[in-house]
Amino acid sequence: MNYFLSLIARHGYALVSAVVLAESIGLPMPAALALVTGGAAAASGILNAPTLLLLGTGAMLLGDSLLFVLGRNMGWALLGFLCRLSVNPESCILRSAESFYKRGKITLVIAKFIPGVNTMAPPLAGSMKMRFLQFLRLDLAGATLYVAAYLTLGFLFRDFLVSIAQGFRAAGRAMEVALLAALIGYVVYRIWLYRKYAVYRVVPRVQVEELARKLASEGDGNILIVDVRSHGYYDAGTERIKGSIRLEPNNLSDELKTLAKDRDIYLYCT
Amino acid sequence: VAHLLREKGFNAFVIVGGLAAWRKAGEPLEPVPHDDLVKLPTFS
Repeated sequence: MNYFLSLIARHGYALVSAVVLAESIGLPMPAALALVTGGAAAASGILNAPTLLLLGTGAMLLGDSLLFVLGRNMGWALLGFLCRLSVNPESCILRSAESFYKRGKITLVIAKFIPGVNTMAPPLAGSMKMRFLQFLRLDLAGATLYVAAYLTLGFLFRDFLVSIAQGFRAAGRAMEVALLAALIGYVVYRIWLYRKYAVYRVVPRVQVEELARKLASEGDGNILIVDVRSHGYYDAGTERIKGSIRLEPNNLSDELKTLAKDRDIYLYCT
Repeated sequence: VAHLLREKGFNAFVIVGGLAAWRKAGEPLEPVPHDDLVKLPTFS
């Protein structure tokens, strides 16, 4: 903790803002830790709490707005990219979409506190055509809540955090071994999860010509062509493959109930 | 989506190139029905 405090003292507001901005655009950075440390620094008189609140909220709003605009223009492709590092990318996207369906717009306010949904909420809102000013209002509320919560935590528990850091140092080598064992255990667990879901990463692909031949020879009795576009589906005059049906990717769990398992399903997007 | 469908036991495939490849190959298209358009989630 003392190390972080000295770092914060030297680079101050820029460091907290940069970490918060980095996390809000999807990079694996500890924004909560930076804010808690910032709060502790404010309690020690090193930094100014209102300035931290302003900068942290601004940085988060900036990153979220960037993802919102990208989500509006890239749709599903960006969501897939953001979830690429996840053990199960499909669940990562769908869990976020489901959260929007269940909670509606309020998701943006509480998303920062929900792991897996925090980074996905702004691009999902963009993809779902939320108005930008409406997004800004809700995201401002969420960002302010998040930044204020962790700053307050650091501010109130400064002494407790310092004593934890001192405890770590006093435990010395035993603590290092325990941390190393925990780290190895975590890596092994992630590898096990990755291998478990690896089988679902392989999806057979079919060329248009091959499918057209199949339709011509067998008819469409056993074939179901499904449109899973998440984007570009709103304009008047939009076309789709003849005979295909729509499956809304943002509400997949409900949509699957209507699909027949005895047919071959061919998916397409733009 | 295809990954998830297979996970749920559906025999799912992906059409290479999507709608653009289908259109380029001169295969038949149809307008998107109005009902499908109103099913999409929007916040506007």
